[in-house]
Amino acid sequence: MDIIPQDAPVAAAPGRTAHGLTVRIRTLPRPDKALLNLLFGAALLALVLGLAGGLLTALARAGALRFYSDDAYRLLTLHGVSVFFYWLYLIQAALLLALAAAENGRGLALRPAAWAGAALMLTGFAVSEWISATGTPLLYDGSPELAVDDPRSVGVFALGYLLLAAGLAASAASGIATLLQPRRRGETEEFGAVGFALFAWAGFLIVSAIAATNAFLPGLLWALGAGPFPADHGTEWHILFHNLHYLPLMATVLVWYVLTEHLTGVTSIHGARLSKIVFAAYLVFVPPTSLYHMFLEPTLSDGVRVVGSLLSLFVSVPTLAAFAIIVSSLEASARAHGATGFLGWMRGLPWSNPAMANMGWAVVNMMAGLTFAFVLIQGDLAPMLSDTFFVPGYFHLFAVGVLTQTFLAALMVMLPALNGGPLWRPALLARMPALVTAGLFLFAAAGIAAGTMGVPRRVFDIGYGGLAPAAWPVLMALVGIGASLFAAALSVSVYGVVRTLLSGRKAPATDLTAVAWRVEPSRIGTAPAWTGPVSIAALVAAMYVFTIAAFQLIQSLPIAAIGGGHGH
Amino acid sequence: MPDPRHFTTRRGFIAGLGFGAVSLYGAWAAYGAAPLPFGHTPSAARASEPVPQVHDHGGSAAGSHDGHPAAATAESFRLDHEAFLRTYGQPDGSVDPHAASHAGGHSHGTANGSHADGGHGNHIAAAEPVTVYLMAQRFAYSPDLLRLKAGQAYRFRMMADDITHGASIQLGMASRIVRLRPNIVSEQTVTFTKPGEYLVYCTVYCGQAHDAMQGRIVVV
Repeated sequence: MDIIPQDAPVAAAPGRTAHGLTVRIRTLPRPDKALLNLLFGAALLALVLGLAGGLLTALARAGALRFYSDDAYRLLTLHGVSVFFYWLYLIQAALLLALAAAENGRGLALRPAAWAGAALMLTGFAVSEWISATGTPLLYDGSPELAVDDPRSVGVFALGYLLLAAGLAASAASGIATLLQPRRRGETEEFGAVGFALFAWAGFLIVSAIAATNAFLPGLLWALGAGPFPADHGTEWHILFHNLHYLPLMATVLVWYVLTEHLTGVTSIHGARLSKIVFAAYLVFVPPTSLYHMFLEPTLSDGVRVVGSLLSLFVSVPTLAAFAIIVSSLEASARAHGATGFLGWMRGLPWSNPAMANMGWAVVNMMAGLTFAFVLIQGDLAPMLSDTFFVPGYFHLFAVGVLTQTFLAALMVMLPALNGGPLWRPALLARMPALVTAGLFLFAAAGIAAGTMGVPRRVFDIGYGGLAPAAWPVLMALVGIGASLFAAALSVSVYGVVRTLLSGRKAPATDLTAVAWRVEPSRIGTAPAWTGPVSIAALVAAMYVFTIAAFQLIQSLPIAAIGGGHGH
Repeated sequence: MPDPRHFTTRRGFIAGLGFGAVSLYGAWAAYGAAPLPFGHTPSAARASEPVPQVHDHGGSAAGSHDGHPAAATAESFRLDHEAFLRTYGQPDGSVDPHAASHAGGHSHGTANGSHADGGHGNHIAAAEPVTVYLMAQRFAYSPDLLRLKAGQAYRFRMMADDITHGASIQLGMASRIVRLRPNIVSEQTVTFTKPGEYLVYCTVYCGQAHDAMQGRIVVV
């Protein structure tokens, strides 16, 4: 049989060794546990609000629900603000602090800063949710030009994000101090791979906070009558927006590192140095690749558009390298323990553990999402795809399929350790990622098709007085069905995590399935590890197919267009 | 001592895999969307390549607009746009740049030079792009119904009057989008190759009636 032999060492949960993740979390000081519970809870609340807003939005777009225009766009604003800002940033801050505290082994340093950060972020959360629900709908980018006659909405909206930014910076400062503490005490001389990645991540969070301040402080000042109208908001937003894309992706890869070790005992067989280089590569490759968000800007010259496209080709370098490190380490370790078969080694992974299931399906979603992301980054295709439903069609694969499932996987491991209770119905939770992915694939396939046909991304009534193509409402109905499916399955996962968070110590935590595949790098034999290269080859092949299809389509349209840039 | 590991588990190979997606460059270069080491740049290729289904473009990419000085402003655009509507407006509310001038041709001294179509109506050579104007404003396009001809090149001059809008032309299997920023004039030379009635709609959320912001281009 193409799997690891039955007599291979299994079920020795690596995280429960003396230095394991869950042991370190369990022994954190009580104030740190309280802070982490608060942040995890707030992040989950943001996810629930965002999920509800997103589902209602999808159903409205599918024609199943009707809202007044302003209410519909308020829902869309709530969805975006809740998920893309508060869920993703709150969970990042919480995970950073939890992992940094566990890495330190003695809890958080600069604890007052961490608590102040939490207070600022939660205040920002309340402010943002309130103004999103009651003010002029500004969508999640809070564009001031939408409310020139309503400075109050612009100002309060900006204030929410500024509080979030300040809180992020304070949390990250605490995380950095925590990571540096063992070195200052002389207990260690250098970071391990995870410690280094946490340090870089914390630095990026501060950069993100600065970018948010840069984007939203002018709006607040204008609303207060203390500054000019923020006419450059669009450009400042793009800088933040790009950061918002890739910071959670870096966090995801880091969580994969941590969970891989926790679930299988495997660390990189390529050494910590290569992992550090890969995490540092986010700093090198991500900032220069931001131009593709601006391909439709009329002020962007053709030359910049071409250069922007070329640079964008490098945006996946650190993520794919990290993927290759993890997969090759897992496969080589499995083969060192006797696994055989081309892909059979994967069957030995602890799939009944919901953290493993979430992480595994997250990888599947990443491959699908990357395929279409690389269609979008080509400047010549932007006039056909940007600002259409193609964009939400593919990025939900990332936002839900990759990021959210990965962060939920982390919570499924950390929360039982944090509070001492068991994970709620692990067998049921382990089945959800496949359902989430099925719904997402339907959502993405229909959404990408709809976007390619021109369905705009932010329109609720796509009838256009009967002039729109007949296929548009059909595709959007499929989007609604896909959204309903993944929202239902994701709700079960979220419910399980919330129940675990709230369960306290009503029952003792039980060990979930794990394997112990760790081998010393010197024991890695001559066996090949083809899963990584074959996966990436398949990914590139899919990118070729869909890119060529998009080029063929745009060339077949009954129109020839030249230019589109700045006239004079 | 040689490394006993298979090459798929060696550091260099793993690091190289990270660059896998960069190979998509090949597809881009094949479609002229990326520069080749010893070839011309994509923009040069675009200017010289025969455009599918089009007889003659004669148009210009942004930045080199025949006869248009480079100092036109949003205000001059507004004047030209108003003159365009006045000159070619039809009784049914549509605008037809090929129709005989209602106002006897352009009467204003346009700040951005002479229009290829100014006062010439149907006598324009097909090779010469006809200038048309499109203003986007909450929550409509002006004009909202344009009558054009298949095979004729049009120099679309477009601007948003108030806040950012989009203008997407629905073309059957896909659409073609431009983003319009307030007071920034965008130009695109467009040739419709098939007759039909094409929906134009806004792709950038612009407020309460965003969903209703639409227009039509009728191509004969």
